[in-house]
Amino acid sequence: MKYLIILISMFITTAVLSQDFKTDIATAKTSYASGNLEDAHFALQQAMQEIDIIIGKQVISLLPANMGNFSANTKDDNVMSNVGFMGSTIHRTWGQNDSVDVSIIGNSPLISTLNVFLNTPLLGGMMSNGNNKIIKVQGYKGQITKSDEGNGESNYTIQIPMGSSLLTFTAKNTTDTQITTMANTLPLQQIAKLLK
Amino acid sequence: MCLLKKITLLLFIGLMCFSFSSHAQLLKKLKDKVNNAVTGNSNSNQSQSTNTTTNNTTSSGSPTNTKGGGLTNTTPPDVNQQIADAEKSQASGDYSDARYSIQQALMGVELQIGKQVLQSLPATVSSLDKDTTQNKVMSTQWGWNNLTIQSVYKKADQQLTVTIGNNAMYSGFVDMYFNNSMYMQTNSNGDNQNVKQTKVKSYKAIITYDDSKGYTLLVPLGQSSLIVWECINFATEQDVMNAANAFDIDGIKKMLGEQ
Repeated sequence: MKYLIILISMFITTAVLSQDFKTDIATAKTSYASGNLEDAHFALQQAMQEIDIIIGKQVISLLPANMGNFSANTKDDNVMSNVGFMGSTIHRTWGQNDSVDVSIIGNSPLISTLNVFLNTPLLGGMMSNGNNKIIKVQGYKGQITKSDEGNGESNYTIQIPMGSSLLTFTAKNTTDTQITTMANTLPLQQIAKLLK
Repeated sequence: MCLLKKITLLLFIGLMCFSFSSHAQLLKKLKDKVNNAVTGNSNSNQSQSTNTTTNNTTSSGSPTNTKGGGLTNTTPPDVNQQIADAEKSQASGDYSDARYSIQQALMGVELQIGKQVLQSLPATVSSLDKDTTQNKVMSTQWGWNNLTIQSVYKKADQQLTVTIGNNAMYSGFVDMYFNNSMYMQTNSNGDNQNVKQTKVKSYKAIITYDDSKGYTLLVPLGQSSLIVWECINFATEQDVMNAANAFDIDGIKKMLGEQ
């Protein structure tokens, strides 16, 4: 029932955003036709932000409701659009104290560095400090990094580039096997298709 | 006896081969002589063509490019068409394609704004003529933040390059200079001041001088735009200010949608 309500609210949000999109596109067309390029530009930017948010909400709807033993904190789901330097940001957490966390950032500035690391074995070896290694999740290359918290707990982060977007999946107090198992429940192929 | 027969046979085959080979060489020599007689300079032509071929190849043997007219200028994305495509994609739920079309439309609009700004620039500045072949408008797909417009003015050894950019990051650095007392006006050697604040048509500006680059004048516009004048072989600071004053800064600011 809870998820049905979430899905309905998501549908309503998407419908409202679609309406905004149409309004912005209409404004862009009118402004462009009258030679007001600056207003046309602004309206198109607004339209793009709405599309980003719709895409982000679709990605959120694809994410699993449970991650291992943790339930999704759906009230904290977040989609932001940043026209300019970065694209949209999509964020969801699972469990108390955000035990598991995924964030997807469009046009991430970290992508090129990570891709060099993933695709240059020599460089990957040189940059490796023993706490990171290259892995594959559902066929997508990624980097797993371990960080010790000093209290005997280890946190793990998996970073996977998808086109110009960067997916970062973090789990607290876990093992590399557990985080990899959890990451395998993310529908990466569908997410990549939406973000292409 | 048998061995002797074999040796004789081998010698015979060898002789036949040599005979065919010398026969072929003879025929080739004859053919060349006939060619020489008919064309006169066949050999020299051949050697020239061989040289040409050698010159047009790299050391690795692959040919170097000596032909081709380059790429033709394509028109900026058709904004109306891209908007129509975006609507269609959005209606069919293909949001990724809708986003792409809007990006293209944004690029088209930005390039048009850039061209308008270029056209508004004066044809002559301080007796330097605009070199229209060096006009540039660049836009990336990231919308607005990376629109760059450039024009070059030249006369004899003097050159003025004006760059109008929409980049919050660079513009922010200049604003930081104005608003932070930490960045005091500095004296490079106690006598010559190579960086200082000034004003161009009531806009706050920074002017710098470097022996190898000449004068550079920067004026931030509104929230995220910036005009930069790079002046080579200008005699004085006042010459640079006069050149900058020839530009309609208010008009440029308005076209860029800055407040």
